[in-house]
Amino acid sequence: MAEKKDMVGYRQQPGKLPFSRPGSGGKKSFSEPRDESMIPASQGGEKEQPWGSHRHDELLSGRVIGKPTSLIDSKWKVTGQAHYGDDIRLPGELIGKIVRSPHHYAKVLSIDATKALELPGVVAISTGADASQKFGVLPVTKDEHAMAVETVRHVGDIVACVAAENEVTALEAIRLIDVEYEVLESIHDMKDGLNDSEKPIHDRGKYHIGEANIQKRVFQEFGDVNGIQDNAIASHKSNWYFGGVNHAATEPHAAVAHWDPSGRLTLYTPQQVPHYVHRALADVLEIPMHQINVHRTFVGGGFGGKSDPFPHEMCAAILARKSGRPVRITFDREEVYWLNRGRHPSHIEMNLHADSEGRLCGIETDALIDGGAFASFGHVTTYYNGVLHTAPYEIGAFHYTGARVWTNKPASGAMRGHGAVNSRCAVEVGIDDLSEQLSVDPITFRLANLLPPHSATITGFRVTSIGMRECLERVKEASGWDEKFRQMPLGKGIGIGCGFFISGSGLPIHWDPNKFPHATVHLKIDMDGGVTVHTGAADIGQGSDTVVAQSVAEVLGLPLDMIRVRSRDTDTSPVDLGSYSSRVTFMNANAAISAAMKIRQELIDATVIITDAPAKKLVIGDRRIFRKDDPAVGVSYLEALHKAQEEKGALVASGAYRTPPMGRAHKGAAAGLAPAYSFSAYVAEVEVDPETGQTKVQEVWAAHDCGKALNPLSVKGQIIGSCHMGMGQVLSEEMRYGRNGHLMNPDLLDYKIPSIHEMPNVTPIIVESNDPEGPFGAKEAGEGPLLPILPAVCNAVYDAIGIRTHNLPITPDKMFKAIEKKCKLLSIDDPLDLTSPSLEYSELQSTLEARAKNHAQRDIDRRLNENIEAYHNGALFGKDPTIPPDEVDENWTVSVLPSKEYLSNPRLAGKAWLHTERRHRGDD
Amino acid sequence: MRMPPFTLHSPASLDEALEIASKLQDAKKEFDWVAGGTDLLPNYKWHLNSKKNVISLANVTELFELKATHIGAMVKLHELVESEVVHPVLAKAASMIASVLIRRSGTVGGNICLDTRCYWFNQSEDWRESIDWCHKCDCGTEADCRVIPNQNTLCVATYQADLAPVLMCLDATIHLASSTGTRSMQLTDFFELDGMTRNKLRPGELVTHLTIPKDSAQWEGDYQKLRQRESWDFPEAGVAVMWKMNGKNSPNDLRVATTGLESIPGFHQSQAQYALEDWNGKESIKSLAESIRKAVKPVQNTWYTPSYRRKMARVLTKRACAGLLEDSK
Repeated sequence: MAEKKDMVGYRQQPGKLPFSRPGSGGKKSFSEPRDESMIPASQGGEKEQPWGSHRHDELLSGRVIGKPTSLIDSKWKVTGQAHYGDDIRLPGELIGKIVRSPHHYAKVLSIDATKALELPGVVAISTGADASQKFGVLPVTKDEHAMAVETVRHVGDIVACVAAENEVTALEAIRLIDVEYEVLESIHDMKDGLNDSEKPIHDRGKYHIGEANIQKRVFQEFGDVNGIQDNAIASHKSNWYFGGVNHAATEPHAAVAHWDPSGRLTLYTPQQVPHYVHRALADVLEIPMHQINVHRTFVGGGFGGKSDPFPHEMCAAILARKSGRPVRITFDREEVYWLNRGRHPSHIEMNLHADSEGRLCGIETDALIDGGAFASFGHVTTYYNGVLHTAPYEIGAFHYTGARVWTNKPASGAMRGHGAVNSRCAVEVGIDDLSEQLSVDPITFRLANLLPPHSATITGFRVTSIGMRECLERVKEASGWDEKFRQMPLGKGIGIGCGFFISGSGLPIHWDPNKFPHATVHLKIDMDGGVTVHTGAADIGQGSDTVVAQSVAEVLGLPLDMIRVRSRDTDTSPVDLGSYSSRVTFMNANAAISAAMKIRQELIDATVIITDAPAKKLVIGDRRIFRKDDPAVGVSYLEALHKAQEEKGALVASGAYRTPPMGRAHKGAAAGLAPAYSFSAYVAEVEVDPETGQTKVQEVWAAHDCGKALNPLSVKGQIIGSCHMGMGQVLSEEMRYGRNGHLMNPDLLDYKIPSIHEMPNVTPIIVESNDPEGPFGAKEAGEGPLLPILPAVCNAVYDAIGIRTHNLPITPDKMFKAIEKKCKLLSIDDPLDLTSPSLEYSELQSTLEARAKNHAQRDIDRRLNENIEAYHNGALFGKDPTIPPDEVDENWTVSVLPSKEYLSNPRLAGKAWLHTERRHRGDD
Repeated sequence: MRMPPFTLHSPASLDEALEIASKLQDAKKEFDWVAGGTDLLPNYKWHLNSKKNVISLANVTELFELKATHIGAMVKLHELVESEVVHPVLAKAASMIASVLIRRSGTVGGNICLDTRCYWFNQSEDWRESIDWCHKCDCGTEADCRVIPNQNTLCVATYQADLAPVLMCLDATIHLASSTGTRSMQLTDFFELDGMTRNKLRPGELVTHLTIPKDSAQWEGDYQKLRQRESWDFPEAGVAVMWKMNGKNSPNDLRVATTGLESIPGFHQSQAQYALEDWNGKESIKSLAESIRKAVKPVQNTWYTPSYRRKMARVLTKRACAGLLEDSK
């Protein structure tokens, strides 16, 4: 009989599965040989481990981890069966619509809904009077209401809401509600927010900073700050402006609320962080959390824009309670812009200094960020604008002043690359400029100034694996850097940019990390052999369900089809902090692995009983557990499972992850702490048209260190997607405010997201640094990849035409203005006669090359040697690497409060420190 | 966003369409024509001057004819792109309009009669209410123009259609019909200030087709468009230049037209004629380009700044003339 071939292109049908009965142990009674190329050398396989072994090596069964895997929910999406927020249809639903403020800043004097209530079909109307409790994503800055209580703070702020039988009626009703306002003087320029105001946008009581609109201020000084001027032989100073950008996720926000007959609320919402909504709903509705179920629908893109608890979610719940019927609220695109939470418009002053050895002897950053009308994640953003650029370079001094102010605009918040993107761009462009001043290659400069693996940054972040050097080396080679940089004709240029990002925020927002884990995963396996995974991690399209399923499948040696993830309802999912700060893969996969390890142990124990083989000799393969040394001896997965279930039925296990204790003790030390960090380096090649100022990115080589690509397909997708999103910010996307403070482009025609025509060819390069604490060595790949594209493009533009831009987006009109200015300066008539910059190496180049070479060896030694000594930032400057320099060196400071001397001449955001907090100035 | 309710009339012939229009006029009912709907319907969703009655031309077969010298108003933009009889510069301009999805629905007539656009106008009802409306859609408030305040007699919204400048340079004639008869005029005479009036169409009148002179094949030229993205975006500036060579190395005749810079497209006859005198290749192009820059006066109501758009009119003119230089080699 002819051998039965594997079926190719087989379309899966019910009852006809592409594999034999699940859990049976496969077609053969003997196990297939394991995929040796996927088993690490440390476990007897063929997979090389240049970064050393990993604690999860023995769990690798070679099934799914590291193999390109399409997302487990992708078929739901491509067949249109995925239900997003607005797809939820409950019987008897009402449509909710929102009355929004037409004023930037006003007191609400009265709301008259009489006419609207008389309109047939209107069922319920709600105003701020129905919900007096405040909420907000951070417990320290709860400043939002479901609907305006007394004050509206930006055009589009929510005043009231209506539930009606259909959309047309609801829309008619909101126009019948008369609201009387007393218009207040609004502020739009973030610089004005630093000044005292008659009526600040929020009042924080005794914690209010002066009478100003300053929501948060940060001062940080580390290292040899006073020595910067003496040590520096080259300095870069620039004043940046970054326009605000929006996530512009495909799916607009939507929420459906339903109070069931038991009196419990279910809220259906496309959320990144169901747990925070859960908490906020309990606050606002004044009911206990256990009375609420938050159901996360499919999420059509988040990027940070769906990570706050939102007022419209509260409105839906309040209207549903009032009307006794399900209420659905769906935003149109303009409303998404009113909600915003996009990246902060920012003024960033960036000063960088290099010394005679080509070391970064100082970074001085001042960031004033425009928070809009609410706090959102702003507290954290204010820190991130500083602390997230203290690596990957070893630095001699770090000085940061940051302030976030309220203005009468839609609130800014967290967006992919939270807080790190703008200042990273400024730093990387600064390094390009320093390299030029020193006449060295910017890649060499970077390679000679990197922190080694297992080191501490100047602010005390514990950095474990670092793949930065490999990222730089690989993009340098792939892009043909040495043949192109400073050698291309006018209008063509190439540039480099790097990135550094947290892989999971080290501190949970809502509790002490020692009291409760960051992530928990529950597993349940019954007789059928399928594994049900309960996790609260929100799959927002990034593939978190898939990565958790992959982790479980790998550890248990099962095909992915046998894993089903239940991650939607807070009723059944363990509490999870949600999908933000690039924490999901790191924390949830770790939790999933630890849960799966418990089940794995039970299966092995059962196999020992059946086969009498020693547990140490047993390995798990494709639905079989067998002796490594004699694969014929073994049992099928199902046999082992049933044996394990003899006494107790279904196997259940719980696994959790919490971060190790980290960081130092100064105020704000926790901001930016993470159990691991990702690194990336991109090279972009651009064309700038000197006559029109139009910039087009042609090629991007994008290397990202994600520790270990659990799913290379996803990692590449994230890299390419990040390029697109970052390119939007650097070239065309901007929330543009008109002369009277109105957002001029709250729609996708005028908010210029790059189209397919603008998209360059991106070559993703995955670097795997095998993080010791990451699941199978993995770190994040969702946000970090966005960072380097901005500076890479800016630096390439400089290489093309010799103009440094400090104002994003670099729209053609701005670029053309700069070209005109340069032509005028050089007395050139035709911009085509401009020349692009050239480079002739100085002596420093060879010094840096030699140092880079030494450091490369140092890094290899440190990553392979398990008994390495501590390495604190400062060693490059001759300090003892084993002790934080500030503990032994007087000149090496740690300070979080400005001195009087500083206050006599503060920088822009530093001016926030000229005010005194009310509680400290003796007010009652 | 929801469309305000309206009654849709779907006549099957031109006569029927004109009859419906005339009846509606007699009943003093306002109406709009809808061709491809890609301009009108988004505006309706934004509640921009929407009417209670809409007459669809989708079934009026007389308007669908496409020949080298005759372009029906209902010819899809995509047909222009694909057609082999259409002048290549016209096909090029059509291929740059919006996106392929829109081109498959949008029509030539609709593009010619495109409503003017403005940052302060093309916004939702809530948004416009928050700026107390504007002159172009004042909702009975007699609101001022928001682009140039303190004058409420003129609308400065920008005409951002791509076909008009090319058709003007091809010396096209536009043909109109109403229940009282038909009339024709040069396309260059069709447009009429301001941003609200837009053109010479009378109430109840519609564009039936355009005709293009037989000698159009002898005209060469180019259309250049300025925009942020190579898809979707309306022209921030557009320049068409067409010329007829005298068989030697200089043009016999030259025409230049612009779009996206003012409330109506501009036909720059005197500038073109001036350049033709003492034709001197590169230098003539340079001074022509400069004269076009001077001739246009954009305002701050689109994505780019007016000064940039104006300067780009110069660059686009120069680039559209590139073929003239190649020929002279």
